[in-house]
Amino acid sequence: MTLLIVGVIVLLAFLGTPLFAVIGLAGLISFHTAEIDSAAIFIELYRIAGSPTLIAIPLFTFAGFILANGKTPERLARLSQAILGGIPGGVSLVVLVACAFFTAFTGASGVTIIALGGLLYPLMLKEMYSKDFSLGLMTSSGSLGLLFPPSLPLILYALIAQVSIDHLFLAGIIPGLLMIFLLALYSISQSRTFKINLHSFDGKDALSAIREAGWEIPLPFIILIGIYSGIFTVTEAAAVTVVYVSVVAICVNRDLHPIKDIPRLMRESMVLVGTILIILGTAMGFTSYLIDEQVPMQILDVMKQHISNKVTFLILLNIFLLAVGCMMDIFSAIIVVVPLVVPIAKSYGVDMVHLGIIFLTNLEIGYSTPPIGINLFISSSRFSEPVVTLYRAVLPFLGLRLIGLVFITYLPILSLFIPQLFER
Amino acid sequence: MALLCYLLSDCIFRHGSTLFPLLFYIVRFLRQIDGYLAKLESGFITLILSLMIFLSFGQVILRNFFNESILWGDIFLRQMVLWVGFTGASLATRERRHIAIDFLPNILPATWQQSIGIFTKFCAAVICIFLAQAAWSFVAYEREAESVLFLNLPVWIFQIVLPYSFILITLRFILSAFEDLLPFKRESR
Repeated sequence: MTLLIVGVIVLLAFLGTPLFAVIGLAGLISFHTAEIDSAAIFIELYRIAGSPTLIAIPLFTFAGFILANGKTPERLARLSQAILGGIPGGVSLVVLVACAFFTAFTGASGVTIIALGGLLYPLMLKEMYSKDFSLGLMTSSGSLGLLFPPSLPLILYALIAQVSIDHLFLAGIIPGLLMIFLLALYSISQSRTFKINLHSFDGKDALSAIREAGWEIPLPFIILIGIYSGIFTVTEAAAVTVVYVSVVAICVNRDLHPIKDIPRLMRESMVLVGTILIILGTAMGFTSYLIDEQVPMQILDVMKQHISNKVTFLILLNIFLLAVGCMMDIFSAIIVVVPLVVPIAKSYGVDMVHLGIIFLTNLEIGYSTPPIGINLFISSSRFSEPVVTLYRAVLPFLGLRLIGLVFITYLPILSLFIPQLFER
Repeated sequence: MALLCYLLSDCIFRHGSTLFPLLFYIVRFLRQIDGYLAKLESGFITLILSLMIFLSFGQVILRNFFNESILWGDIFLRQMVLWVGFTGASLATRERRHIAIDFLPNILPATWQQSIGIFTKFCAAVICIFLAQAAWSFVAYEREAESVLFLNLPVWIFQIVLPYSFILITLRFILSAFEDLLPFKRESR
C-alpha cells in the first residue's frame, strides 16, 4: 500500500504536477495515516516565519529583478570588456565575471542566460570564438556565482539548515572564485586555438565604462563591508540594497520608469518568491514529519553498515545531489532535501556551513548536466540551438566543474577558511 | 487515466464551442473575473512590497542613526513576506509559473502534453482543496489559542492569507484546466 502511494506521488511529480502540490499530497497522506490534524502542515512554515532572515528573500529578489531589467547587463558587459577585453581569452573572462556577478544578485532562475546571453553570445561569435565553445561557456556560466553573496539559494539554505547566514556568505567566496578560476584557465588556453584578434587596452574607453557603471560597481562592496564591519545585518543589507538599486535605476540612470516598470517588476519578483514560499509552506511540514518519524536516522542506520567514513559518505552525497540537481530546481531541492540530509551529514561529522557549499555546488552543476539540466533547455530556447548541440558543448565545462567540486568537497578548508578568520 | 483525459480533451477540442456553448461562456466569464482579481492582487503586492521596503529601510535608519527601532516592525515585516508570497503564489497559478519537474512533459508529443497538463491541473486542484482545508483548520486553532502577535492584533488575522490563497489556487487550477480543455487562445504571458 505504502509503495503504491509513493509510486503515485512520484508519477504525479514526473508528469509535471506543480511540486508544492505533490509534496502537499505527501504531507496530507502521511499526517492522515498518523492521525495528526492536517493543520500541522503549516506549523513549520510559521516557525520559519519567525526567522529574521526571511525578509531578505523578497527584498533581494526584487533588487535582482530591477538589476536584470534595467540596463545593468549592458553596462556590466561593457565594463568587463573594456577592462578584460585586451587579455587573450578576454571575452570569455568577460562572460565568466559578468555572469557570476549577475547570478549572485538574481539567483539561479535562468535570468542570467536570458539577460546576458543576448549580449555576450553574439559578442563571442564576433570575436571568432567557436560556436560550441561559446554555447558551452554561456550555458555553464548561467549558474556560476550562486556561491557569492547575496545569492538567494545561500539565504534559503541558511534559513532551512539553521546555520549563520553571515558565515555562509563568507564560506562561498573561495569556492566560487575557484570555479571561475578553473573555467578561466580553460577558456584562456582554448582561446589560443581560435584566431582571435586582440584589442589593445584603451584607457579612455575603460574610464568611460567605469564611469558609466559607477553606480553598480560599489554594490557588492556595500553589502559585504556593511555586513562584516557590523554596520548592518543581512536583512538590513537587503533593505539597503533594494533602496540603493531602485534609486539608482529610477532617479540616477533612469533605466526604469517608476509607474510603468516598478509595479510590473514587483509583481513578477513576488510571483517567483511565491512559487518558492508555497513549496516551503507545504514541504516543511512534511519533512519535519519524516524527521519525527526518524526516517533520516533509519537511512543512517542502513548507511552506517556499509559506509564507515566521511569520504565515502561525501562521494555518495555528491552523486545523489548531482542527480537531484538535474531533476529539480535549486529552490525546491534545498527545501526538500536539506532537512533530511542534515542529520545524516552531522553524524558523519560534516560541518554544516561546508555542507551548504557542497549542496549548492552540486546543484549548480546539476543545472547544466545533460540530459535534463534546466539551463540546457533555457539556452536552447535562448540561442535557438537544438538541445543535443548543447549537450556536446557543455561537456568540457562540466568536467572542469566536477574537478572543482572534488576540491570543494574534500578540502573543507576552502569553505571554512574565511569564516574561521572572522570568528577569531 | 491520462488516455481517458487525452480522448476527452481531443473530443472537446474539436467540437468544443458547438458542444458546450454554455460551458464556453461560463469559462470566459470566469476568466474575466479572474483577470480583475489578478489586477487587484498585483496592486496589493505593489502596495505591500513598497510598505515593506519603506519600513525595513526605515528600521535601518532608526537603528543606526537614532539607536531606536519600531518594536513590532520586524514581526510585522515577516508576516508581510507571507502575504506577498502567497498572493504571488496564487498569481503564479494563473500565469502557469509554478515550479514543476517538467522534462517528461517536454519530450512527449504536443497532444499528449496538453492532456497530461489538464490531468495534472485537476489533480493539483483536488490536492489544493485539502490544503485549503488544512490551512483553514490551522487558522481555527490559532484563533482558539487567542495568541497575540503585537499591538493586540491576533495572529490568526495574518494567517488568513493561507486558506485564501489555497482556495484561489484551487479555483485557478480548475479554470486553467478548462481553458486548456476548451479552444481558448492562450493568454500571452
